[in-house]
Amino acid sequence: MSVMNMLSWWQWAILGAVPPAIVLLYFLKLKRQPLEVPSTYLWHKSIEDLRVNSIWQRLRQSLLLLLQLLLVALAIVALLRPGWMGAEESGGRYIFLVDNSASMGADDVKPTRLEEAKHRVGELIDQMVSGDVAMLVSFSDSARIEQLFTDNRRELRRRLDEILQTNRSTSLGEALRVAAGLANPGREFEIQNNQVAEGMPAKLYIFSDGRFPDVEGFSLGNLEPVYFCIGRDDVENIGITAFSTRRVEGKEDQLQAFARLENCGSVAVKADVELTLDGSLVDADKVDLKARGSGAVVFNLSDIHTGTLALHLRSGGALKADDQAWAAVNPPRHSRVLLVTPGNETLHLALTTERALELAEVSLAKPEVLETKQYREQAAGGAYDFIIYDQCRPREMPQANTLFIGRLPPTGWSALEKVVAPQIIDTNAAHPIMQLIELGGDVHFAEGTPLKPPTGSTTLIESSAGVLFAVAPREGFEDAVLGVEILGTNEKGEQYRNTDWPLRLSFPVFVLNVLDYFGGNRESATSASVAPGRLVSLSPTGSADSLTVKTPSGKTVKVTRGQSSVANFTGTDELGIYEVLEGNKVTQRFAVNLFDSFETDIRPREKVRIGYSPIEGQRQWKGARRETWKALLLLAIGVLLLEWYIYNRRVYV
Amino acid sequence: MSTANLPLLSPQLLAQLERLELVTRKIFRGRMKGERRSKRKGQSVEFADFRSYVPGDDLRFIDWNTYARLDKLFLKLFLEEEDLHFYALIDASASMDFGTPSKLEYAKQLAAALAFIGLKRADRVKIETLGQSVRNPGRMWRGRQNLWPMLDYLDHLEPGENVSLAQGVKNFCLRNAGKGILVLLTDLMDKQGYETALRYLLSQQLDVYVIQILSAEELDPDLKGDLRLVDCEDADIAEITTSAPLLKRYKATLAAFIDGAREYCSRRGMNYLLANNQVPVDQLVSNYLRRRGLVR
Repeated sequence: MSVMNMLSWWQWAILGAVPPAIVLLYFLKLKRQPLEVPSTYLWHKSIEDLRVNSIWQRLRQSLLLLLQLLLVALAIVALLRPGWMGAEESGGRYIFLVDNSASMGADDVKPTRLEEAKHRVGELIDQMVSGDVAMLVSFSDSARIEQLFTDNRRELRRRLDEILQTNRSTSLGEALRVAAGLANPGREFEIQNNQVAEGMPAKLYIFSDGRFPDVEGFSLGNLEPVYFCIGRDDVENIGITAFSTRRVEGKEDQLQAFARLENCGSVAVKADVELTLDGSLVDADKVDLKARGSGAVVFNLSDIHTGTLALHLRSGGALKADDQAWAAVNPPRHSRVLLVTPGNETLHLALTTERALELAEVSLAKPEVLETKQYREQAAGGAYDFIIYDQCRPREMPQANTLFIGRLPPTGWSALEKVVAPQIIDTNAAHPIMQLIELGGDVHFAEGTPLKPPTGSTTLIESSAGVLFAVAPREGFEDAVLGVEILGTNEKGEQYRNTDWPLRLSFPVFVLNVLDYFGGNRESATSASVAPGRLVSLSPTGSADSLTVKTPSGKTVKVTRGQSSVANFTGTDELGIYEVLEGNKVTQRFAVNLFDSFETDIRPREKVRIGYSPIEGQRQWKGARRETWKALLLLAIGVLLLEWYIYNRRVYV
Repeated sequence: MSTANLPLLSPQLLAQLERLELVTRKIFRGRMKGERRSKRKGQSVEFADFRSYVPGDDLRFIDWNTYARLDKLFLKLFLEEEDLHFYALIDASASMDFGTPSKLEYAKQLAAALAFIGLKRADRVKIETLGQSVRNPGRMWRGRQNLWPMLDYLDHLEPGENVSLAQGVKNFCLRNAGKGILVLLTDLMDKQGYETALRYLLSQQLDVYVIQILSAEELDPDLKGDLRLVDCEDADIAEITTSAPLLKRYKATLAAFIDGAREYCSRRGMNYLLANNQVPVDQLVSNYLRRRGLVR
């Protein structure tokens, strides 16, 4: 309870003189109305009787006086603006940033941290005075403007209630940019008709547990940040931060599952973990976790070809979202590679080595095939993962990764004049395709065509004449173009060797690298885990135009693929296994897991840094300042009405 | 406040009063022969009894028929018919000028009604006010023909006489020494008390009726707020703040005052009646006074 002095001393003096004045006026009886009566005989007798009685009688007589004094007292108290002190500020513009990332789902603050944050924002909204405007933004890994600046408190309240818990990670940066864009317009944000609004200072309230990386390179400008740190310091939580499987080398039917656990609590614990396959228990283990430490567990599994692996952590602490992890075991699958060539013995040989066959299933075709309808359908339908065009080129680019040898793709690429004996100056050894390949010195090309790759491409081989080998992205695929031929054809139609590269050891390594990079890496038994909220690109195995995705909660979502052969699925907010159905058959599975050490470590961070300004978190929530002067004035009006009622109705007490 | 423009006695009331007569429980000797049947024997046409003749009796009353039959002298007795003195003493002080109708108006109506009954029965009727001096006795009326002069006299009575109740009654007693019925019409609101005044009346051989007339404003005051009450007679001031306890106390005091007057009267053989100015006069006369035995 606190009061705010609104008046100066002389105003108080005047105010303080009011109650004595009322009493004085009452006892002076200045306003007694004269009334002629037949006789005062009986009245005198009555008054004398009453005077004998105690002072209480007088007080009862002076009910109206008492009511008047009460009225003035209430008005004076209302002028003191009593209230329960809180974090109330006046200033007019507020931005509320509410963290709804996974860690806000922790229940160390009942019911959850998010609910607590919403409750506090609600209190701040309630104490907004007319003229104040506020904006509401929720943020996890992305920011979402729930409500633009408005003075409509009801609307703000409604929007606040609509903020839901997510399982996403946290990044404050985007939310800050959104807030700053509206508070410091002209710098980063222009409103629609290109008028740059004047920058207005605003108070920025951040309601979070601080589980986000410090925001680098951001200037707050007009924003005055207030960070409310939500959560308890003594919170205990254990979470799974990694869970993956891989097939044992050489043993196709053996699987290793690997999990990593972290303990953010201050005491060492033994964590019980259970591994289930399609709901039935497969294995269980105990993991020793030091205080603020991590541990790993490995499960060896056999005879598992497909299914859903789930790892459960018992008594996983305050945050529930990281107590389970899923992995989808997909059947082993080779990538499909098509080699279109008029005939290239050395290349074919390199593609059919034992190691290459483990990676891919290679089909061979003549350039004439490119004109057939069957090829066109397969190419457009994404039937192949990777197509090599040797000494030929298609009319349209296929829905697959490609390698062009001695030819240019039909679109995007261009070339310079053909040169004789280009000298290799440099190779990009950092790129996976060029790993372990040494070309300088002992590899020679008779002739070559320097390339002009499209923007965004990566040069892999640089020669004295220009770029000889480059890779460029194309709508989810990548195209690699080799500007030199391996086998050339002269004017007479005779084949000749253009290079001695196939004789070198680096050539089969290069082919393996290409296979591995463009189509080969199907080795992992489980598809990679997806972070919540992230986009998943699904490539249908058949030629169907649409896929159905079944979410962990059983909801089905239809995903159509666009121009490209991949269908993009964005509704990955739930944790668990998603099944991809083509027709009625489950063809793929993928898992959405939290796997975020930042979110698992739910200890609230007291101090966060935005740009160069460190911000101390406010832990003690004093609650909103609840003003009572309105209630007091209403009470005073009530007293006034009562006085009027008593005076008029002569309600005798 | 005055209702002088209204006739004191309405035709309906007159018709009602025609059937009534004044009664007294005491035996009074009238001065003149009246229409009232007396308990005494006397001369009239109405036979009462026989008695034996004793020498000296008026020979005119001997029943000769009986003498012829029984050879004994008997005297025929007849009921005496006599007149009655009816006095109405009206308090015309300023305090009587309150209420609607004013208490004085009410008193005048009541006096007129009772006087009419008296006039009709050939009683001697005298209406006086407390303020009349000893040397200025009021007129005596007798007979129906005096109705209009009497009403005219009543009409001209004005409030504002400044004399105490005791002094007024004393003056009345000095002026009128006769016997009869006295109806005292007053509010009894005298700061010196009513006891002295009534004691004067006791000394007279009068059948006294005290009719205390109070207005509705006095019986159930409708006051609110802080007031300075001014006495209309002596300008005395009482400052009050109306409240439930005060009004309750006032009513208790009033009840005690009324009860005191009633008890004082009944102990001394006087009749007391409280009249509320809201009760019509005809109702008062035909109901209350009839029950009390003043009229029949």
